[in-house]
Amino acid sequence: MTRHLYGFALLVGLAVPAAGGAQAVQNATLRQAQQAYDNLEYRQVLSLARAALRERLTGPERARAYELLGFTYGAMDSILKAVDAFKQVVLIDPERQLDPNRISPKAYSAFDVALRQVLLVRQLRVDSTSFVGGRGAVPIRFTVTQPARVVTRAIGTAGGSYVIDSGAWNGQVNLSWPARLPGGDPVPAGAYTVVVEARLGQNTSSASQQIRVSHGNVDTLPSLTSLPGYQYLPETEVPPQSWRPLGLAFLYTGGALVGTLGLENSSLGSSSKRELAVVGGAALVTGFVMTLRKPAPRPAAANILYNRLLRDQIARRNQDIAKENVARRQQVQLTLVPLPKQGGAGPR
Amino acid sequence: MSRVASGVAVLVLASRAVLAQQVNVTIGPQFALGSYREVASGLRYQGTGFGGAASARYRRLFAEAEVVRLSLDPATGSSATSGFTATEVSAWVAYDVATYASVEAGFIRRTADPEFDAQSVGAVRVGARSFYEIGPGATVLFRANYLAAPKFSGGGHAAFSVDLGLGLDVRLAGRLHGTAGYTFQRINRKTNPGGTGEIDAPIQETVARVGLAVGF
Repeated sequence: MTRHLYGFALLVGLAVPAAGGAQAVQNATLRQAQQAYDNLEYRQVLSLARAALRERLTGPERARAYELLGFTYGAMDSILKAVDAFKQVVLIDPERQLDPNRISPKAYSAFDVALRQVLLVRQLRVDSTSFVGGRGAVPIRFTVTQPARVVTRAIGTAGGSYVIDSGAWNGQVNLSWPARLPGGDPVPAGAYTVVVEARLGQNTSSASQQIRVSHGNVDTLPSLTSLPGYQYLPETEVPPQSWRPLGLAFLYTGGALVGTLGLENSSLGSSSKRELAVVGGAALVTGFVMTLRKPAPRPAAANILYNRLLRDQIARRNQDIAKENVARRQQVQLTLVPLPKQGGAGPR
Repeated sequence: MSRVASGVAVLVLASRAVLAQQVNVTIGPQFALGSYREVASGLRYQGTGFGGAASARYRRLFAEAEVVRLSLDPATGSSATSGFTATEVSAWVAYDVATYASVEAGFIRRTADPEFDAQSVGAVRVGARSFYEIGPGATVLFRANYLAAPKFSGGGHAAFSVDLGLGLDVRLAGRLHGTAGYTFQRINRKTNPGGTGEIDAPIQETVARVGLAVGF
């Protein structure tokens, strides 16, 4: 039962990558080898794959032939031979990657060992990015399979070569390229090739990626008309209705009445009050009417002060924005886009 | 005709200049009620009349002038046998010293016709006024003036003379204002007829004025 399960798992693990590679195969011998592999006829796979390698094959076919050998040796527990076969695979196609979820652990570990035994620069990636010259950098990632001296350059198609980095690296490498000339100016617009060269003794490996650098204007900032979260407040407010107008009319009329009564000359007798009654009555009626009316809006000192502060703050911000825009109009927006690969790079 | 046209032109030009300077001016006619007493309680008059008032405000400076002509007749029970016409001119210039208060100075001149039926008086006004806007376009004021250096047509002097006032200005509609004013005046006049010794000859007057005014 256990043997059956192992056989089934092996079948599933090996059949999928084999089927995936069979589509591009034109060579008849290699197709037979693929067919034999699918039928688990490993002896026949070995002889047919070797025979195919002696024939005229394209690069992918050659890589596929070695890959079949690697998988077959792996299935036959010939790990060293599997490693050798996978070495040939990655030397032909450095970007070749196996999916550990679909490949048997034996084959995958043999592939992994093969990778670490060959100096390769692989998986070079330059991400699309856009930034203001001098305020950003281009992220560059690649993998070096062995400790090596690695030099990364950007070579312009119109001339000009800029060293991005030079150092000893191993494994995953992350670089940042500010895309600036030594004087601080941004690199000229145009097409560039980012070349990564690794050297270990006599062994070298390189990978490249074409990119396009374009220049643009830096977006200027719009002036502010308001501050987020802050709104102008009404500069007048309607006071609550009160009896104050009538009270004030009483106060002023009372003052006149008291003054009149207090200042009357006793020898002249009590003066006529009809004049005061007319005017005082008018004042009291006016006060009463004003009490009933909606009070007039009056300036809200705190709100006026707040609005003044807000206006000052916005004006100050706009001054800063104007200065920033002056600087931005002198800056360059760099946009870098990786171009599709036209040809692979490999070990030399 | 040319004089009228010239006057109108001057008025228009002056009003434009006033508006340009942000000066608030009101001017209008008034109807007046008056009561006048002199020397003793038996000598009292009452009457009505017409007048006019004008005022102007420029920032903290305020100027006001009033003219009223009262036909005063002996009141019921008065010992007077005939009435007289009193013409009173008052003017003030005030300066705001606080939001609701100002100090003021001016003069008063009241003449009687026939001349010897009542005392004509002239004096300098010195005092203060308090004013408050009790509602939209409605202002009340209270005024207290000391009448300094009074002069009388019949001679004499007054050590104590005061003038109290109550005023009201209500904006009725647009430029039209309603105005009302009350004045109480007491003058402690003393006279020395024929050199026989000083006697009291006080004067007391109350006037109420109600009218309309145009503001511009």
